[in-house]
Amino acid sequence: MGTDKKSEPLNRVDGRAKVTGKAKYFAEFEVPGVTYCVLVTSAITRGTINTINTKDAERAPGVLAVFTHLNMPVIPGWANPANPNAKPPSGGEKYQILGSNKILFNGQPIALVIADTLERAQYAASLVKATYNKATHQTDLLKNTEKAAMPGRFGDYSRGDNKEAHKTAPVTLEADYTVPVEVHNPMELAGILAIWEGEDKVTVYAKTQGVKATQRTLAGAFKLEEKNVSVHSEFVGGGFGMGLRTWPQEVAVVAAARQLKKPVKLVMTREQMFNLVGHRPYTIQRISMGANKDGQLQGIYHEATAETASYDDFTEGTVAMTRFMYACPNVTTKYRIVPLDRGVPIWMRGPGEATGAFALESAIDEMAHKVNMDPVEFRVKNFTLTDPEKNKPFSSNNLKKAYQLGSEKIGWSKRNATPGAVKDGEWLVGYGMSTGVFGAHRGESTCRAQLNADGTLVLQSATSDIGPGTSTAMVQIAHEVTGLPIKQIRFELGDAALPPSGSQGGSATVSSVGSAVYDACMALKGVLADAGLTFEDGAVKPAAGKSAGLPQVLAASNKQFFEITKSSKGGPEQQKYSMYSFSIHFAEVRVHPLTGVVRVKRVVTVADSGRIVSPKTAASQMIGGVTGGIGMALMEEGVIDHRFGRMVNKNLGDYHVPVSADVPHIETIFIDEPDPYSNPMGSKGMGEIALIGFSAAVANAVYNATGKRIRELPITPDKILSA
Amino acid sequence: MKQFSYVRVTSGKAAISELSKDKTAMFLAGGTNLVDLMKSGVTNPERLVDITRVPLATIEATKTGLRIGALAKNTAVAEHPLVLKHFPLLSQALNAGASPQLRNMATVGGNMMQRTRCHYFYDTALPCNKRNPGSGCGAIGGFSRMHAIFGASDKCIAVHPSDMCVALTALDAVITVTGAKGERKISFGEFHRLPGDTPEIDNTLQRGELITAVDIPFNDALQQTHYLKVRDRASYAFALVSAGVALSLKGNNIADVRIAMGGVAHKPWRLKEAEAYLKGKPATEEHFREAARLTMAQAKAEEGNAYKLTLAPNTIVEALKLAAANGNI
Amino acid sequence: MKDDQLMNEEHSGTSRRSFLKRTSLMTAMALAPETVIKAAEKGLDEKIAATIETMPLNVTINGVKQSVRIEPRVTLLDLLRERLQLTGTKKGCDHGQCGACTVHIDGERVNACLTLAVTTEGRDVTTIEGLAKGDELHPMQEAFLEHDGFQCGYCTPGQIMSAICCIREGHADTPDEIREYMSGNICRCGAYSNIVDAIMDVKQGGKKV
Repeated sequence: MGTDKKSEPLNRVDGRAKVTGKAKYFAEFEVPGVTYCVLVTSAITRGTINTINTKDAERAPGVLAVFTHLNMPVIPGWANPANPNAKPPSGGEKYQILGSNKILFNGQPIALVIADTLERAQYAASLVKATYNKATHQTDLLKNTEKAAMPGRFGDYSRGDNKEAHKTAPVTLEADYTVPVEVHNPMELAGILAIWEGEDKVTVYAKTQGVKATQRTLAGAFKLEEKNVSVHSEFVGGGFGMGLRTWPQEVAVVAAARQLKKPVKLVMTREQMFNLVGHRPYTIQRISMGANKDGQLQGIYHEATAETASYDDFTEGTVAMTRFMYACPNVTTKYRIVPLDRGVPIWMRGPGEATGAFALESAIDEMAHKVNMDPVEFRVKNFTLTDPEKNKPFSSNNLKKAYQLGSEKIGWSKRNATPGAVKDGEWLVGYGMSTGVFGAHRGESTCRAQLNADGTLVLQSATSDIGPGTSTAMVQIAHEVTGLPIKQIRFELGDAALPPSGSQGGSATVSSVGSAVYDACMALKGVLADAGLTFEDGAVKPAAGKSAGLPQVLAASNKQFFEITKSSKGGPEQQKYSMYSFSIHFAEVRVHPLTGVVRVKRVVTVADSGRIVSPKTAASQMIGGVTGGIGMALMEEGVIDHRFGRMVNKNLGDYHVPVSADVPHIETIFIDEPDPYSNPMGSKGMGEIALIGFSAAVANAVYNATGKRIRELPITPDKILSA
Repeated sequence: MKQFSYVRVTSGKAAISELSKDKTAMFLAGGTNLVDLMKSGVTNPERLVDITRVPLATIEATKTGLRIGALAKNTAVAEHPLVLKHFPLLSQALNAGASPQLRNMATVGGNMMQRTRCHYFYDTALPCNKRNPGSGCGAIGGFSRMHAIFGASDKCIAVHPSDMCVALTALDAVITVTGAKGERKISFGEFHRLPGDTPEIDNTLQRGELITAVDIPFNDALQQTHYLKVRDRASYAFALVSAGVALSLKGNNIADVRIAMGGVAHKPWRLKEAEAYLKGKPATEEHFREAARLTMAQAKAEEGNAYKLTLAPNTIVEALKLAAANGNI
Repeated sequence: MKDDQLMNEEHSGTSRRSFLKRTSLMTAMALAPETVIKAAEKGLDEKIAATIETMPLNVTINGVKQSVRIEPRVTLLDLLRERLQLTGTKKGCDHGQCGACTVHIDGERVNACLTLAVTTEGRDVTTIEGLAKGDELHPMQEAFLEHDGFQCGYCTPGQIMSAICCIREGHADTPDEIREYMSGNICRCGAYSNIVDAIMDVKQGGKKV
């Protein structure tokens, strides 16, 4: 590993469970006596509950309880915060689910209805009636920009001598970009299933990207020892970031289950998932850019203003990419958040960067046109091998090769630089490209390896698989270290009782958990060597000069198995180098000028993300990210009617995500060069870069096709017609 | 969902009789819209009369046209050889709607009876005159991107969501309904209504009546057809604007033409004025453009759907061009 | 009792009792002695009420005859998942907008979330659990595995059920045709490209689906 050796494409080790329907997601565990929870949510956006009538619901058949702010059991860990007067960073009211009569956002839960069947709970929920004292709400970012504040975590950034270079350079541009609310919408509905054993021990089946994080949240909320909180989440039906928190309504369900002394299951509705499990925040951006006539960037100013909740600060690295992506001497970035009467956002695939890259990579395309340069050439001209923000070399950066490979594959040389010049029948043809980038993170992770007498190797870590194929990658790493056949290796995850790992987020799982798997397998080699054994030719064999095999050695030492647990984290090289994963996206689009319809006809996407550990699932990650990018570019938008503060298109019929007909064949190219410093495998993350930047590639292609520059996503037919 | 009683019937007569037993009773056919509305709390019948086993699914030729039973599934109609032969526009429109799964469930009668997909209609926390008369129209001054530009009122700007009905309107279909008082016929264009002051009433079907069949008169001259549906994604989405065109050309002259639109009004919108204008004229883009211009004279938009004032005429022109060329978009 | 009185009672919130009086009472007469009805009417015994509010259903699922009593409002999807533990069929939207719940009824693909279970009386339902023969996977399951036609796996059963019909219906001749006829199944992980490859592969392999 960490070498030039390429990995074999491997079918998913848990694929059989998924194609047969045997894979069990959180809501699918059969629990005797399970009861069903349905949320009743607020119809107003800000104010207080005046009255809440639960009588009819309580009398409805099968109903066990209706919890509101009037009778909600106390969540002990939340009851007495360290500083009871502390205000949320945004200065608003605190949000504690069913903790008071205050309404802080539309769709906020106002009651939990629990009944013996789902249908009865649903019906009873419809009988809960509230009256409100409405207060004025603010949900429109554009009308609240005066509240924009600099969050603690993301200060202003500036480098260079000439702070005005973006205005004073020979060629300048200034443009505003808008990314609307987008909603993760994993196919599996969110929720939780909670089963208490007595007062101080609870088991939950959860939809989470981090079993340890959920364990910590629940242990804290209920003042339990962590070991008394079992969290199971072996299969997760997608997350894209929404599973990085254990949401208040999920904690409330656990509290209700304790009070009722019955197992309680909550499966949220799709509609509720538009309000209660986060979203990509509505963000407006301004970019000013200056360059020499030869295309050398002189200055970039990038300012982003994003929504957050009145009760919680959410921040993300929206302007981060601008600081280091190009060799530009003068760069200023600013990031502001505006508290609104909305549910809090959460990281969504390509968090921050996906929003920022749309603006930056559109602006780069605009500037390339202004200086009459090919957009690929323009990027190559402004390429840097040293991170100009951190003044450190990139640990690896093969962007130049990626530009070249991608250009060749898509046939970039066929592109006509004049917008609107190429037609295919009635359709206008355009090519566009963009760059994506995301930090190559590595967190601390632990893995236990257990080698059984029959030669099977079991690896365990409390990580997750929301879809990328964690187990498959881990088995592949173990296979490459030990040489044991794939079939003899099993990876166990999704259980908080396993050795600790971080949450699955930020494209860090292979790097973090994979390193622990690598280290554990290497350590296992040492254990075997001490016992006179060795991995050889895909089996455990006696070491040179020894004769006893694995079963004999284990029997002789009275052991069932060899085991070793290793914790792993990055070393000093993590500080010496700037570590990023890169992607280049090329898109060929057709635009129908009369109807404004845009179709993505071809995609080439190149990942410069170190060595590819699991080629088959990695390719799937890339096509998946591109598919998400098509959604972001062409159709995804959560629409809020600000008169009511309520989202209007909160369902999958009206909030469009791509269907099969929207997605062409997607060609993926991997540079597949090991990063010498990222981790023992030489890998870098991939989940985010697959999407980051893609929307700009489409917008740039639409410009090439039509001469219309769409700076507000999504690029729907109406925008093409009105541009 | 509220509890309801359920009864399965096997004849039209029994269906009508069972329906009369409860003021809130409704017929259940494919259920693709009704069950959805019940889950959303928009429609709350206390009795469902399951008519899916009533033998009304036959598709057959009569002397003058094609008769399609009201309970024929959308898929069965779209793929029926007689439909493909005589009324390709109907097949194209059906296949542009929903998904294969939904088309396997949805019936012709149910498709006609489906209600608007307006967000304000579906969300019981928001005002809607159609769902709750007198509560106001949320879409006016709100999110009106999907809404009507023809025939709307100050009470309602919702659109009828069907693609199939656009084709049937264009093809001069006639609906047969049966009730306690016997059978009557309704021309397709008169089935759905404009909202006026009573947007809660979608159509002219009377309480207690059952749709039994749709007849489409043969007009084999109208062989060049195109159904153009403009939407936010390539499939499985409602129309921003759609246009169904059936055309008969003699040389390059338009001998006969039928045009109807979807996504623009509370009912499928027939373009009779445009048809009259085009008859006898050469099939040129210039004439198509003028036909569209005539149609648009009556259009009126909100801020949110103002783009339809451009999109609708363009869609008419493009659909005419494609029908004339028998091409595909 | 007059209807307007019923309506008033409805609004006062005793809808279950009025429901029982109005609709199920007559049918229940034949089944239950008067005392039972009285008890139910007063809402004294939920178990009795539950019996009255349910209906018998006989349906064949994956070749197995199932006889259950269910409320008419129970969807086929919830029957499968919550009553019969056939959790391979997924709930993704519950409104016919995603296709995760796709099953076959009498061989045709439909959305189980919009199908009231009582309407399947006497029908043959096939779910993802009914495809493999023991350890032998259905060719479409094999193809999805081989082409990595999924990631999180949640939409996968619906995709596979739909894909089988896509071929059976004769809509799998070209990748574009497959794309259109598979558009009723949303995959948020974005595995479409691989799914199309898997279906093309099965179609070209000519195995019976």
